[in-house]
Amino acid sequence: MPTHAGTPLIEARDLTRVYRRPRTSLTKPGAEVHALRDVSLTVHRGERYGIVGESGSGKSTLLRLLCGLDQPTGGSIRFDGQEIAGLPERRLRFLRENLQIVFQDPMSSLDPRMRVRDLVAEPLTALGLPVGDRVAGLLDAVGLPATAADRYPHQFSGGQRQRIAIARALAPRPKVLVADEPVSALDVSVRGQILNLLADLADELGLTLVFVSHDLSVVRHVCETVAVMSRGEIVETGPVDDVWAAPAHAYTRTLLQAVPTLEGLL
Amino acid sequence: MKGRVNVALLVGAVLVALVGLAAVVSFFWTPHDPTLVDAARKLREPGGGYLLGADKFGRDTFSQLMVGARTTLYVGIVAVGIAAVLGVPLGMVAGMTPRGWLSELIMRVNDLVFAFPALLLAVMLGAVYGAGTLTAMIAIGVATVPAFARVTRAATLQVMVTDYILAARAAGRRRPAIAVRHVLPNISSMLIVQASVSFAIAILAEAALSFLGFGTRPPTPSWGRMLQESQELLFSTPRLALWPGLAIALAVLGFNLLGDGLRDYLDPRLRRIREQAEPPANGATR
Amino acid sequence: MLSVDGLTVRADSAELVHQVSFAIAPGERVGLIGESGSGKSLTALSLMGLLPEGVTASGTARLGERDLVGVPESRIKDLRGRELSMVFQEPMTALNPLMRIGAQVAEVMTLHGRSSPEARARALDLLGRVRLPDPEQIFRAYPHQLSGGQRQRVMLAIALANEPRLLICDEPTTALDVTVQKQMLELIAEVAPALLFITHDLAVVASVCERVLVMYGGRVVESGPIREVFTRPRHRYTEGLLAASKLTPRGTRLPTIQGNVPPAGHFPDGCVFRNRCPQATTACEQVPALTGDGHAHACWHPAD
Repeated sequence: MPTHAGTPLIEARDLTRVYRRPRTSLTKPGAEVHALRDVSLTVHRGERYGIVGESGSGKSTLLRLLCGLDQPTGGSIRFDGQEIAGLPERRLRFLRENLQIVFQDPMSSLDPRMRVRDLVAEPLTALGLPVGDRVAGLLDAVGLPATAADRYPHQFSGGQRQRIAIARALAPRPKVLVADEPVSALDVSVRGQILNLLADLADELGLTLVFVSHDLSVVRHVCETVAVMSRGEIVETGPVDDVWAAPAHAYTRTLLQAVPTLEGLL
Repeated sequence: MKGRVNVALLVGAVLVALVGLAAVVSFFWTPHDPTLVDAARKLREPGGGYLLGADKFGRDTFSQLMVGARTTLYVGIVAVGIAAVLGVPLGMVAGMTPRGWLSELIMRVNDLVFAFPALLLAVMLGAVYGAGTLTAMIAIGVATVPAFARVTRAATLQVMVTDYILAARAAGRRRPAIAVRHVLPNISSMLIVQASVSFAIAILAEAALSFLGFGTRPPTPSWGRMLQESQELLFSTPRLALWPGLAIALAVLGFNLLGDGLRDYLDPRLRRIREQAEPPANGATR
Repeated sequence: MLSVDGLTVRADSAELVHQVSFAIAPGERVGLIGESGSGKSLTALSLMGLLPEGVTASGTARLGERDLVGVPESRIKDLRGRELSMVFQEPMTALNPLMRIGAQVAEVMTLHGRSSPEARARALDLLGRVRLPDPEQIFRAYPHQLSGGQRQRVMLAIALANEPRLLICDEPTTALDVTVQKQMLELIAEVAPALLFITHDLAVVASVCERVLVMYGGRVVESGPIREVFTRPRHRYTEGLLAASKLTPRGTRLPTIQGNVPPAGHFPDGCVFRNRCPQATTACEQVPALTGDGHAHACWHPAD
């Protein structure tokens, strides 16, 4: 297992995010919802960091904050030493160049009106980077033929679409790849292909991986470190094998027992 | 679902095409000069080169209808154009910043314009700048802006919550680029539907304005004014009112059907069903 | 009790489900496993008479003495909700947002001829039976006041209201959190009179069902007792699927099935799996028959 010396790549401190529900009364403001309470985490260079939680655990909120897609109510996020909390979009270029995301559902995360060529090149054109002939190379890297570039997303299967999404995310040569439930919308028979592909690419390109999932067993296959989230807080964090073997928090134990596994049932 | 034709779309397209054809042909050829006043032909009965007869000034009704189609389309295109050029960007801004003050301002001003009767606006503009086709078009266009802004805003709100907008932001796209590259293409089908329905309303409004004398001015033929000129002869020579009335009704029906048909045709939910029934042709395995 | 014979579902020229045959005995829990495009949901919908427009079913399906396929809509409507009922994947959209829960549960009973007071009393009873906490409060609640898991329990209560002979569940827990899923699965296994359980999740089916049908490309490629099929798969697809669903330790490669699931209606002739099968030969250009007693498979080169 690699050690992670040096400065952390992502460092979040006491992150809080409060949403306000739309008002239901004329006199009172809407209720506050604490989506995230004092969450801190550290991701080192080259690390594969898993975040596990169910719906409402705050993992999606945390992800959006880490990716600079939402602003925290309180706390700080440093990416490679630079603060990103509170920065306007025009000053987030360094983040966009170095951190890219693969979303859960490739059916909805690829604009249906765009050709694959433009989808894959979008992070480059958006950042004003040269596209050149990168698209073919990127498609090849994720195992798609160059002819895929001229087609539209709906002409591909779920697994192929997720490959397109990965090619797109790799376009600006990011240091960090954030994957938000990248296989939970896919068929079992192609899930392994995508997980293998992510692992290969992370090895080849020396990527740091932030991997979000509701399934601790998937995180255990992919990541070294895990943070378990529940109700807006990280309830447990540590090496994934330790957490798996001896969960310290009651919620982690519930989660582990709840997932049905073939090995356990047969 | 092969062989099942969208009847509304088909009928609408045919009616609109007829109006378009009449307008285009009228540039090169009409049976007679539509503006030629000839006392000898006054109220001439249909037949003998005068397909639909002539009016009280002796002008050929069929030729007038053809050139009137030109006016109708001209007014529709310009009015819908004004409405779209102003309404779509306003609606998109409002939809992309749903909680901002700008959005609130746009939508409230919108409500204000929406509450103002279009005909009254046209009459006022006509009184100040003189009645004419241009004034009518501007009035109808401005009055249609809120409809476009609302439809655009609603469609934009729907698109803004999709994952691909989030993905575009994560890729580093700024708001203007997101608006042009992602929002606009994805709301275009709804805008096309809106444009065709607005077109029908604009035709009706122009006819009404011309009828009231605030629209197209003589001698330019207009369906609305043909109606107005025939009103005193309604009982003696009803055909003079029948033909322009029928033309207006069919044109309005045509654009409305076209809008409805396009809505069904472009509706993503219905389209998904169609695509499931007919998988893409690139499956080479069978 | 339920016997399905030669069920075929087609849309225009494309055959989406081909010659599916199986039977379910009273009290039996049968799983129908498949990925996208396998035809598992269409199979269930054709039993319910709920196929989308333009999609038609042929073959026979009998529940007791009654035909389910190829009979007029009015006859099926009478059976649906009474003799057989279904729980769908999405509990958010399946309930009427403007009606109180109790009224929605009672409605399915009054529709089938029960008196209103009796239906209300029974609705309350049913809400308790699907182990909703404080049934009386839930009875008066609106759908949006309930969590996803609670809503799915309400759907189950509605499905069970008229004591159907067969319950069909289509991915009933896929939209739920894992901790909620477990309780829901236990509940379904407990209350179902006879169960056809449709899912893509092998572990879920193994925790609920006794027997399983594996579908791929619109055909049943393997069927048999769960334990046997999952420990000694014969069809190469089942074998690959089982291997692919086990997560090996970190740093090792996951076993995969090559290629992608073709879109519905675009599977190869002959054995539907042959374009992805590592064992495929020219023999596989012929359609393999589903053979074997108890544990059956349709493969020219079965695993041992």
